[in-house]
Amino acid sequence: MLEIEINGKKAEVPEGSTVIEAAQLSGVYIPHFCYHKKLSIAASCRMCLVEVEKSARPLPACATPVTNGMKVFTHSALAVKAQQSVMEFLLINHPLDCPVCDQGGECLLQDVAVGYGSAKSCFAEKKHVTKGKNAGSLISMREMSRCIHCTRCVRFGEEIAGIMELGMAYRSAHSEITTFLGRAIESELSGNLTDVCPVGALTSKPFRYTARSWELTSHRSISPHDSIGANITVQTRAGRVMRVLPHENEAVNECWLSDKDRFSYTALHTEERLTKPMLKQGGEWREVSWNDALDYVAHGLKDIAASAGNDALAALAAPWASVEELYLLQKLMRGLGSDNVDCRPRRRDFSLDGKHAGATWLGMKIADLRHLESVLVVGSFLHKDHPLLTQRLRHAVQKHHAEINILSVTDEDPKLALHTRQTVRPSELLYALAAVVREAAKIKGVSMPELASVPENESARKIATSLMNAGSKAVLLGHVAEQADTAGLLHQLGLRLAELTGANFGFLGEAANSVGGQLLGLGEKAKMNAHQMFANPRQAYFLFGLEPELDVANPVKTVAALKAAKMVVLATPFKHAPALQYADALLPLAAFTETSGTYVNIEGCAQSFAGAASPSGESRPGWKILRVLANALDLPGFAFESSEEVLREAWREAGVKVDAEGYVSGLDNKLTHAPELKLPSSAQLREGELERIADVPIYMTDPTVRRAAPLQETPASASPKARASAATLKKLGLAAEDAVVVRQDGGEARLTLALDEGVPEGCLRVAAGHPATSALGGMFAPISVERA
Amino acid sequence: MRALKHFIRSFTLWELLQGLAVTGRYFFTRKVTVRYPEEKTPQGFRFRGLHALRRYPDGEERCIACKLCEAVCPTKAITIELAERDDGSRRTTRYDIDLGKCVFCGFCEEACPVEAIVETRVLEYCGRTRSDLYYSKEKLLANGERHAATIDADKALDAKYR
Amino acid sequence: MEEMIAQFGNQWFGAAWPSLWLVIWTLIKIIAIVAPLLLSVAYLTYAERKVLGYMHSRLGPNRVGPWGLVQPIADGLKLLLKEIICPSWANRRLYFIAPTLAFAPALAVWAVVPFSDALVLANIDASLLYVLAIGSMSVYGVVLAGWASNSKYAFLGSMRAAAQIVSYEIAMGFALVAVLMVSGSLNLTEIVHMQQKGWFAERGLSFLSWNWLPLLPLFVVYFISGVAETNRAPFDVAEGESEIVAGFHIDYSGMAFAIFFLAEYTEMILVAVLTSLIFLGGWDAPFAGLPDSAWWLIGKACLMLFFFLWFRASFPRYRYDHIMRLGWKVFIPLTVVWIFVVGIWMLTPWNIWK
Repeated sequence: MLEIEINGKKAEVPEGSTVIEAAQLSGVYIPHFCYHKKLSIAASCRMCLVEVEKSARPLPACATPVTNGMKVFTHSALAVKAQQSVMEFLLINHPLDCPVCDQGGECLLQDVAVGYGSAKSCFAEKKHVTKGKNAGSLISMREMSRCIHCTRCVRFGEEIAGIMELGMAYRSAHSEITTFLGRAIESELSGNLTDVCPVGALTSKPFRYTARSWELTSHRSISPHDSIGANITVQTRAGRVMRVLPHENEAVNECWLSDKDRFSYTALHTEERLTKPMLKQGGEWREVSWNDALDYVAHGLKDIAASAGNDALAALAAPWASVEELYLLQKLMRGLGSDNVDCRPRRRDFSLDGKHAGATWLGMKIADLRHLESVLVVGSFLHKDHPLLTQRLRHAVQKHHAEINILSVTDEDPKLALHTRQTVRPSELLYALAAVVREAAKIKGVSMPELASVPENESARKIATSLMNAGSKAVLLGHVAEQADTAGLLHQLGLRLAELTGANFGFLGEAANSVGGQLLGLGEKAKMNAHQMFANPRQAYFLFGLEPELDVANPVKTVAALKAAKMVVLATPFKHAPALQYADALLPLAAFTETSGTYVNIEGCAQSFAGAASPSGESRPGWKILRVLANALDLPGFAFESSEEVLREAWREAGVKVDAEGYVSGLDNKLTHAPELKLPSSAQLREGELERIADVPIYMTDPTVRRAAPLQETPASASPKARASAATLKKLGLAAEDAVVVRQDGGEARLTLALDEGVPEGCLRVAAGHPATSALGGMFAPISVERA
Repeated sequence: MRALKHFIRSFTLWELLQGLAVTGRYFFTRKVTVRYPEEKTPQGFRFRGLHALRRYPDGEERCIACKLCEAVCPTKAITIELAERDDGSRRTTRYDIDLGKCVFCGFCEEACPVEAIVETRVLEYCGRTRSDLYYSKEKLLANGERHAATIDADKALDAKYR
Repeated sequence: MEEMIAQFGNQWFGAAWPSLWLVIWTLIKIIAIVAPLLLSVAYLTYAERKVLGYMHSRLGPNRVGPWGLVQPIADGLKLLLKEIICPSWANRRLYFIAPTLAFAPALAVWAVVPFSDALVLANIDASLLYVLAIGSMSVYGVVLAGWASNSKYAFLGSMRAAAQIVSYEIAMGFALVAVLMVSGSLNLTEIVHMQQKGWFAERGLSFLSWNWLPLLPLFVVYFISGVAETNRAPFDVAEGESEIVAGFHIDYSGMAFAIFFLAEYTEMILVAVLTSLIFLGGWDAPFAGLPDSAWWLIGKACLMLFFFLWFRASFPRYRYDHIMRLGWKVFIPLTVVWIFVVGIWMLTPWNIWK
């Protein structure tokens, strides 16, 4: 600890800190623009100049390290004069358009100009005007004259987003922040630029000219869009969500937010919102009252249970339904005598059900990811599926030179420096991982006869070595690994590798509440899981919060089962057009900002949230719908007054304990009785068939995101193409840009071919979760392609 | 002596007579009553009456939807909704003043950075229902056009004090 | 004319006619007094508002008719058309009798008021006694109104009014005792006649022979008591709006309220006329050479009424205990003392009332 004096007050600060950090610790505010606690230091704005004893000129507080006995003055005549002069310079080219600027009212420049600027300016010449840029549908760069060249956005791109999409062009007075060659900003973390920018140069495009910061009411909430449960601040005006901002939480999302979390609110007030319960009566859809709708559903379920047996009922919930909703759904179905409830719609391999020692999770704290030295990520579209987890890994690479190894099915660049990458066919993922395990065993000197048949390869050796040598390490399984039909074996291999190398073993997590669903035993303890309930069609289905064509592993089989069913009830926030074909009742569900609930994120933190806005139209929070439906069914034990009551009962019933910080018990990636590790012989494809690689596009992951117009306008949401490598194309006798028909499980889709060398040979990458491909079958199943 | 003086004063009702003298004097003073519709008091150029939204000489509305008037309004009489217009400029889609709430403090006029919202000299307006006193953007713009000459002249008079 | 009527009456009614004619003639005379009286009440309200306005540097009523002259008619019309509300827990009978009880005595007194030598409805000997007796009756109307309204405010107001009227009645009576002593008569005409004589009257300055000068303290006491008696400002605690809203008539509306209003203003005019008769020489002209006439009486009464209004414009309301203190501890002793002074004066050689 060093002892320094700030404005005559003594303070102890840790060694290596800068003056601005020291001041912050002792409660002294130093005005600044370019300094940002999460970014590197540029010292370019000069706003933080302070007087330091024994220094002839003022020093920038952000770039001056603290020395012992240093005396700092932030309000001395010299410092004030320096601050006022810098402010005058900064305002030379800054337009006085605060009244039309969206940043007005929350602008750092405004605040600092009032607090530290002077009223007069010596500048009488013409202001320099910078042309606006088009930065895509999320970020507005129309008024770049407002830029004060702090370069926070440039540093954010390099250090946080992993891609330098903005840069400073030209020199001195003519310098300007610009995108490269007029390209839009495509980073999945781009929304943070609007937070990082201290002025109104980079602002949110969807929020543009809609409201003022001072008229917004802030509510804390949790994002439902990915597995980390980013903490968000939902800002409303007159009961309507106007924008979403990050809520700083170092343990989860720091001060960042992915674009998905930030802009999904734009879907909440669209035409597609389901605002009234709807019933199909005589082949026609009618808007009805809640009473009629619930009556109809209750009678329907009862009648079918009575005539076809309890087992004829099945329920499938979305993994982004809250703990309360999942629990009530399970309780309701069990009350009806049916045990067919699941919340893992994308899973295909359920071989480990009943063998888990606990709910599968990250195996470590999210915040600890940045301290890893070596990581193996298996089967993941890393930066698309987990933008903020990837950001943590990026930090580990940049700050601690962590070695990131990726074993996956495509070679997309997660925008971080990789140590090793191996891209294999989905069916070979198993053998690739087995090879790593074998190498690790070899290094460790453990014999593994069951893996003797696995072929060796160079990258497996490199990965194993990297894992063996590192101090802090992890093996993390992604979406592909969890959703593959060899998921159980991959789990076992991952465990084995972690045991051998001493690494942490974990999962990156499928959705906002996958862990919560597992804790409740949803699906795992069910009689029929998400796969079986459609493989053996039931007579009545209750679908909660998901859209079957887009959110399940095999849309063809699912939709066929739904069409054959006597009754399909869909609780959803949106009027899902395809569902009108097979559903009988649509129950309007409150959106994530309008309901209260709890998500358990991938590190096992149960984060509860309350409603921020009033439900749109007649939609109601899911737990209330389920509670009233249970009352209509005369089921006992549903007298809940609040979602907190539901949560308490859910945790009690599931035997889950929640500690003071919100972390739950019952998390374990181990298996109680592991089946014998036996690798199947590699599956042979039939003639003319390819292996499908199905990613879910980043802005297609759930119903809300799919309807967020600004997100749908991004390049990442472009209509999917059928991608294949040159070698595959040659073998097929097709060329890029050819129109083709792809067929799978009796369904077909018309797509355009695209050349993608990242796709392994013999594979065709066709995205899932997109309306264009929703007629196709399994995500990683054989697929055929021919010229249209 | 003093007691005596007091005694005499109170028995001669001296103070009461003084009081009567005051009112008696006023009985004959000039009366200040203004016989309103026939007579009117003079108005200052800063008179705060009915609101109006102004336009630029080229017909473009001045208001840029900065919402400062809405924020400063002590009675929350102003409601503004805004959107980006097709030409990319920031404009209101709704600008309502509820004159039933308004206290004519003039803060909105004071806060406006573009002199769009002004209070005219018009004070003779009325409504038979509450909604008659709810002025929409169209009505306010129409006010501005109707009284454009007076407003411009008043603004010119005020300009040198700003 | 008179003969024609008599002839006509005898022809039709025969022997009953003379007594019948007396009734008719009396009724005509009553109407001749009451109708102008009510009109003057109406214009007294107009005058009050004008005078108050002028003393406030404003114009007073000026909208209805030329100079606002039709204002009282409009007010009357409005009150006539307004609904009379009776509170649900009020004593209905008393509630509606009360205004009548307040108004009737105020009118009845006028029976004995002489307007000039011959112009009087009933020239009875004890007319001053009659004035005192009937005048005190009006307190019943006030008390009953307060009681019947079944409201705390009204009750408090009527209690105050009753106590106040009773208190000042005494001072008023004592003041009149001295007048009786110097006049030697209870007849108002006689009292006026007495004032027409005297040392100054013989020398043409008859206004100095009037009772006001030798009985100046009693004149002041009488007039102030008259103000208090009529519950006028500054003695209007009975309807002090800052404390009890409107006093005894708080629950009255429309014509019921208007009758209280009429009673108050009729009494004001009465007090003004009586003061003029008793202390200011009635219809006697102030200087010799000018003809005596009822107009002098009206003029003097108007002057007194102006004082009523002037007081209202000038003085703030008395506190209730101050009013009682003034009545009992100042006015009554003062009048008693002055009665003795007058009595002794009358026994001395300088007696001017011989």
